[in-house]
Amino acid sequence: MVKFLKPNKAVIVLQGRYAGRKAVIIRSFDEGTRDRPYGHCLVAGIAKYPKKVIRKDSAKKTAKKSRVKAFVKLVNYTHIMPTRYTLDVDLKDVVNLEALQSRDKKVTAAKEVKARLEERFKTGKNRWFFTKLRF
Amino acid sequence: MVAVKKTKKTHESINNRLALVMKSGKYTLGYKTVLRTLRSSKAKLIIISNNCPPLRKSEIEYYAMLAKVGVHHFNGNNVDLGTACGKYYRVSCLSIIDPGDSDIIKTLPGEQ
Repeated sequence: MVKFLKPNKAVIVLQGRYAGRKAVIIRSFDEGTRDRPYGHCLVAGIAKYPKKVIRKDSAKKTAKKSRVKAFVKLVNYTHIMPTRYTLDVDLKDVVNLEALQSRDKKVTAAKEVKARLEERFKTGKNRWFFTKLRF
Repeated sequence: MVAVKKTKKTHESINNRLALVMKSGKYTLGYKTVLRTLRSSKAKLIIISNNCPPLRKSEIEYYAMLAKVGVHHFNGNNVDLGTACGKYYRVSCLSIIDPGDSDIIKTLPGEQ
């Protein structure tokens, strides 16, 4: 009786190319739209997780291992698994519907998401979100 | 801890309450619609049969935990649950949207 598919909720994408990847809901469309007459949401997620960083890594290696590749996608609610975790990064301004209209807008949006996610990873918070889901 | 031994009397009363919901309330049967009602926060109570596959049972329970909806594990398999709903088919999970005249929402989740 509590709505839980809200912005900042961490979810796991279940289907498609990004199956098994963790993502965060940016915007949800419960009623659907004319093009997508079903409940769906705009998510930003991790396409390539950052690698495990160990203490003896040099600074250059740490920087290389902490890279994140991000994606932006509209997914159906039935294709995501909500979790009890949340991730509050402010991505509303960079990830919006018009960013999905053309390929290069999507790429710039994903690059901005990548930058924000990388700085969040480097602070060490939300560690669950940046670990790969093993299955 | 073993679950509380469901006496015959309380089991029958659940069946009675379910029958009343079927008659006077709104409900939906089946896994896909149960998840849909949980996502849209329309569900008030979920009932799962005892032979529901454990992965599916855990998934429904997790969704219900997120949505803060009670889950009741029916003391019977999907055949019995279908019969309790008055249907001639098997029902593995069902979601009660509006209990109608029944007090199933008030009595059941406290009992768990």
